[in-house]
Formats: sequence, C-alpha cells, structure tokens
Amino acid sequence: MAHDLDSVRAALVKSRSRLLPQSNVVATGVGYKVTRGRKTDALSIVCSVTRKLALRELAPRDQVPANIDGIPTDVVATGVIRAFQERTARLRPAPGGVSIGHRDITAGTLGCLVRKGGQTFILSNNHVLANSNDAMRGDAILQPGPVDGGRFPGDHIAALEDFVPITFLEPPSECQFARGVIAVLNAGCQLIGSRTRYRTVNIQATENRVDAAIARPLEPALVKKDILEIGTISGLGTGSLGTAVRKSGRTTGLTAGEVLQVDVTVNVQYGPGRTAQFSDQLLAGPMSQGGDSGSAVLDHNNRLIGLLFAGSENSTIINRIEHVFSELGLTL
Amino acid sequence: MKRAVAALMVLLISSIGLGGERAMPETIHEVKAKHAPRFLALPGVVSVGVGRDAGGAEVIVIGLDRARPETQASLPAQLEGYAVRVQFIGAVKAQ
Repeated sequence: MAHDLDSVRAALVKSRSRLLPQSNVVATGVGYKVTRGRKTDALSIVCSVTRKLALRELAPRDQVPANIDGIPTDVVATGVIRAFQERTARLRPAPGGVSIGHRDITAGTLGCLVRKGGQTFILSNNHVLANSNDAMRGDAILQPGPVDGGRFPGDHIAALEDFVPITFLEPPSECQFARGVIAVLNAGCQLIGSRTRYRTVNIQATENRVDAAIARPLEPALVKKDILEIGTISGLGTGSLGTAVRKSGRTTGLTAGEVLQVDVTVNVQYGPGRTAQFSDQLLAGPMSQGGDSGSAVLDHNNRLIGLLFAGSENSTIINRIEHVFSELGLTL
Repeated sequence: MKRAVAALMVLLISSIGLGGERAMPETIHEVKAKHAPRFLALPGVVSVGVGRDAGGAEVIVIGLDRARPETQASLPAQLEGYAVRVQFIGAVKAQ
C-alpha cells in the first residue's frame, strides 16, 4: 500500500533520532523506493549509508528495519558525506578533478594519475599542461591554475614531462594557383546552377586522436590517486554507443552523461582562427564547460574510458583512453 | 565465334567480380570514413560520427554549428544504405 507524503514525513521525524546514531547511517530523507534498480511509486524512508553491508555484519542496533510504522525503508549507499571541497583551491595532496595548468594558460582539470616507466605522472590535456604545443619539457605546472590564483613558485606542483603535439589546420591556402583553380570551379558551379562551392585548404600531415600531456609531480606526496567525488579508478574500459559516463572537473564538478556518438571526426577551435581536426572521438551530451578540460571520464564501474578536452553548448568531446595510453606509453 | 566466347567469358568474370563486391557491403564506419572529408569541407559542418536513431539503429550523424540552409540542402538523407541525421551541436571549442 502506498503512503502519502505527510504520513511518511511524520514517521521520518519520529524515527530520525533513532536512525541517525546508527554507525553506518549518514543521512535520512523521504524518497521513492528503488527495488532492483527501478524506481517504484511507493514512498519510503531513505537511509543513506556509507556502504551497504549484509545484515549479519551489523549489530542489531545498527540494522535499518525493513519498515517503520508500516512505511518501507530504502537503504542507499552514498559514501561519507564531506563538506564541499573547493576545486579551484590549492590542495595538497591534489586529487583528480581539481584546477591545474601550465604557467602560461588559464586553468584546466587534473585528470588522474598514470604510470610510465615505473613512475607516477599527472594526466591532462596538451592545451592544459603544454599550452597547446607552446611549451618545453620541465615547464612549471601550477595547482591551482593561474586563473584560479596559482602562482610560481608557491603553487608549483609538477613539471611538464611529455605531450602529443596537436596538428592544427592551416588557414585557407595561400597558393595562388590553387586559388585560381577554385575560382574557376566556383564560377562553373554558379553557371550550372549548383549551390556547391569549393574552398582551398592545406591538407594536414597527420590526424589528431588525442589532446594529451603528462607532468611529473615534484614530490609523490603532492598528488593523490583518488578523483574527487568519484574515488579510485578500477581499471581501463572502452566507450561504446550508450555507455553511461561520469567526469569530475574543475568547473562543473561531478556530471554524468552517455556516449551518443562514436568514431567522431570533429573540428575543434583553439582560440580565434585556430582549428584542429580530431578523429575517432567519443561524443557525449552536454556535461562540461571551459576549465573542465583534462577531466578523466569513467564508466559507472569506475573504469577509465576517456580524457575530456572539448565541447559545445550541447556536446562533450572525449579522447579514447586507448589512444591516450598508446600515444604516451602509459599504464594505470 | 571464338571471339564471341572470349567476350562472354570476360563478361562472366567481371560480373562475378561485381557480385563479390555486393556480397560484402561496407560497414557504417567505412561509409562514414569515405564521406566525412567532403562533409567537413562544407560551411558549418563541425563533426561527422556514428550514433543511433530513436529506434536504436546506427546512423551517420552530421553536426552543424547552427542552422545552415545551404549546407543542409546539400546533405543526403542516406549514404550507401545508411540513414544520415543532422544535429545542431554548436561550435566545438577546446575547454
């Protein structure tokens, strides 16, 4: 039998003082009961716990009863609830999901920690750690990033180690001959009534698959494996159509989305008049803004599947982690 | 007569060749790869990828920065048997 909101609230108020002191319960509230992953239309008393345990692992006084005054309870694992951590602040050790940047940029996101040759490195984007190719090995990386008040040397956390250069599309060709040919072609199109128009472009030598870089922490103790609000990475995964994903980023924090397109070839703007084309990207719905670049993207089993680097009003573009790891020679 | 037989043989062999090609249709990813460069050269096209339609079928998705009547008019509804969808995704910027 379904109960109305008032009676459930009344039962909650009465039982709250009994539920909250239980060792595992961190919050109580009213919500629709979820049974086998599906929301039902029955209102329930929701007990948020740090983690779900079998009844036999709990002392009788720490067990949440199946119902209170005839109203069902629902136990939900939310983890430990902490005061909101400022992602743009200086944090030591710095976890994934916080502000970071090369000394000459604004700020991006510290993605996660990775391994190379037995050592630990910070993973983020080239345009966050290597100033879009305009940087040298050893350059200072600040946490928080300069726009969030990070200054050298006080906030110096790491040194640029390596990056995959981004190949930018050249502006329209300066070649006089090509421009002449195009003018003739376009005149021809106009004559035959076709709406098609051609334009000259320089072909780029290689296609980009990643916007990625790594930096070496000045001391291992300055960084930490966890990603804010996500926790630890459980392994490597692969993004495919429909994969539910999450990221933890400097600007929009913890957000979730879904892989809506794969095998995406996309033109990405890097400031006025500078564009780079990327292939084999993942496209998710809107789940990021400026400053979230470099966020690690994980599936719902906490497997790392990508590196966020770009987006529009209604899309987020993600490098496949397979390409990031192979191009930089990384492991977890 | 010999010539006619030879010509017939050539015809027969070439038709087997064509049949072989038809038996191995290209995947949606191959078709997308073949056509993406020409779409990306059109004004306003920012992306070409593979997504799903409401029914769950795989489709080629062309992303535009905004409404572009001329470009939209020149895009096909289908490519080699695969449906083509147009989406307004906006200008994509490094974040």
